[in-house]
This record gives sequence, C-alpha cells and structure tokens, in this order.
Amino acid sequence: MRTTIVALLAGFALGAALPVFAHHSFSAEYDQNQPITLKGTVTKLEWMNPHVYNYIDVKDQKGNVKSWAIEAGAPNGLYRAGWRKDSLKVGDVVTVEGYRAKDSGDHVNGRSVTLADGRRVFAGAADDGGPNSQYR
Amino acid sequence: MTTRFPIPARWLCAALLTTIPMAAQPGKPPDLSGLWDGARPTGDLARALPAGQKIPFTPYGLEKYKNVDLATNPNGQCLPPGPSRSITGPSPFQIVQNKDTVAFLFENHFDYRIIYIDGQHPADINDYPAFMGHSIGKWEGDTLVVDTVSINDRTWLDSNGLQHSDKLHLTERFRPTGPDTIHYAVTFDDPVFFTKPWTFDLDLKRQKKGDRIMEYVCEENEKDFKTLKPTTRKVEVQ
Repeated sequence: MRTTIVALLAGFALGAALPVFAHHSFSAEYDQNQPITLKGTVTKLEWMNPHVYNYIDVKDQKGNVKSWAIEAGAPNGLYRAGWRKDSLKVGDVVTVEGYRAKDSGDHVNGRSVTLADGRRVFAGAADDGGPNSQYR
Repeated sequence: MTTRFPIPARWLCAALLTTIPMAAQPGKPPDLSGLWDGARPTGDLARALPAGQKIPFTPYGLEKYKNVDLATNPNGQCLPPGPSRSITGPSPFQIVQNKDTVAFLFENHFDYRIIYIDGQHPADINDYPAFMGHSIGKWEGDTLVVDTVSINDRTWLDSNGLQHSDKLHLTERFRPTGPDTIHYAVTFDDPVFFTKPWTFDLDLKRQKKGDRIMEYVCEENEKDFKTLKPTTRKVEVQ
C-alpha cells in the first residue's frame, strides 16, 4: 500500500545510477512492501559516511507534523554524481519516494527525490539489492 | 556498539604516494599505478557471471548461501570487505607500485592491501587470519599474479551474502589491456564452499583525471546497526 503524507521534507538531486558502495543490504533494514511517498520541508542535512541523511518535517491531513529521517547513498558516490553539500538546503520542499524501515519507525530509504523544479532522481545506494539497485 | 579499527591507510597513502611511478620499459613490469574501479556492477557475483555459468557450491556452501542472514553483511558492521570484494565492489581504489610492493588503497572502508612482490607467506600466517588476508605477488610477463591466504572467514565475497571458509585461497591476475584498462581475474579456491576453483572476471577502468580517493569512515555517522533485522534471502538460488 502506498502511503502519501504531505508536509515538510528533505531530499536529494542530480545524477543517474550511483557507483556507491552499499553499507548494508537493503532488505535487512527496509521493507520493499512498504513504499512511501513523503512531501515536506528539509530541516537538517548530514553529509557524512556511511550515508547522507536528510531530515524532513511532514504534515499529515490532521495537521500533525512528524520528522522523518531519509537515508541516501554515501556522500562520495553522490558527489561523483554531481551532488554537493549545498544541493539541498534547510527549508527546501521536496518529494521523496522510498521504503519504510522494517520497524515502521521514522526511517526511510529514499530511492528517488523530486525537487521543487520537478527533477526526479535516484538516491539509494547502488549495490544494496534494493529497488533500482544496479545488481538486480 | 560498533567495532573500532585503526585506519593506517592514511599513513600508507602519504608514504607511498611520494614514490615515483615506474616508467614502462622493455623487460620491466608494466606500471599499474593510478585510480581504478570496476567497469560494471558486481554486487551479486552469481548474477554477474557469464550466462550459463554457476558458482560450483558444495552442498554445505549452497546451504550457507541459501540461508545467509543478510543483516550480517560485514560492511553493515563497518568491518573490512575482504581482499577481492574491495576490488569488485563499486568504489575506486588507488594502485601504488614500486619494485618490492604493490599497494591497493581502497576508498571503500578506507582500507588497504599490500602485495609483497616475490615475497613469501609467513609460516604461521594461518594462525593469524586477517580481513584482507596476506598477499604475495609475482610478475608473469605483463601480468601481476597475486596469491592471498589467511583470509578472515567473516568477510563476504560480494554484497549478496556469498560467504567462504577460512580455507579460502585467492589467486588474482591483473593484466593491462590498454593504457586505461586492466583485466582482473580472481579465482576462488575453497574446498569447504566450492567443489572446484572458479574464476570471476572483471575489467577495471582508469578513473577520470581529477577524481581521487575520498574519505570513507564508516563509523562517522552510522545509524543502521540498531535497525538491521534478521533477513533470509527470498529469491530463488541456483
């Protein structure tokens, strides 16, 4: 079931498939049967290994705001694909398509991110065995 | 709690990068120096083999492969990937070469391998297994042939749960096929997991000028460790 939540969020941009070394297997942490789409505003960015993280605030239909952590690939692969530390900024509004963590917490593996200008890009690690992974 | 490892590759990099690369001369081994990476994705070696070729598992090896817990991927625990996975994995590495050693400086996990040219394995090396094993090498014409033993059996051979035993013996061949290409062939010999030695081939490409080894400190902001769940493989295996 696809869940859509509207509000504030964090995202990513640029590049096609990324030559990123996967820190872990996708299926060991995320649930392919729990796709999720989040729209929200970036509140924090972490450009660090082993994964870039973006945090977004998402508002549900009742107006409640929830913070989500969006896992992306490693910063080195993202850099080579054209991303930079300031490609996303706090306050940017983005749409993330990804998969929820198996524990159904506030942790999402972002597979694509759509920026306000409409660009839709790959964001997950390339060889983690997850959706769109290079070895699948 | 994550495991902490020293990162001496930084020192090694600084020391070895100051050496002068060998010039190509008749009768001299080729110069493999440079920044390299695999030319294609190889996260799943079984799928990356040529059509019709299968990994020759022993019954024990196949059972281990089918039932591997993907949450135990050593990389997820910030452990070194192992000697061949460091090369077949999708991160670049720098080869630094001199007469007596060839060093591989990996971006992945900021780790390294040293190949001792015309060296010997210490007599007690199998008593001290290492995540990257112990490697000696020799030149056969223009091909660097590397022999690696004493590999810690906690490493995987790919990102998809291909395990091995402490009996694993690697033979790797690096043969330049052009100024910007090396043919890499690694032969896995492990009688516990495989009925016979088998070889995986991969072309290595010189990375574009201006690229570089970038820092990868796995524990810098590790968040996955606590949320990994025991996960068995769901796809059909061979």
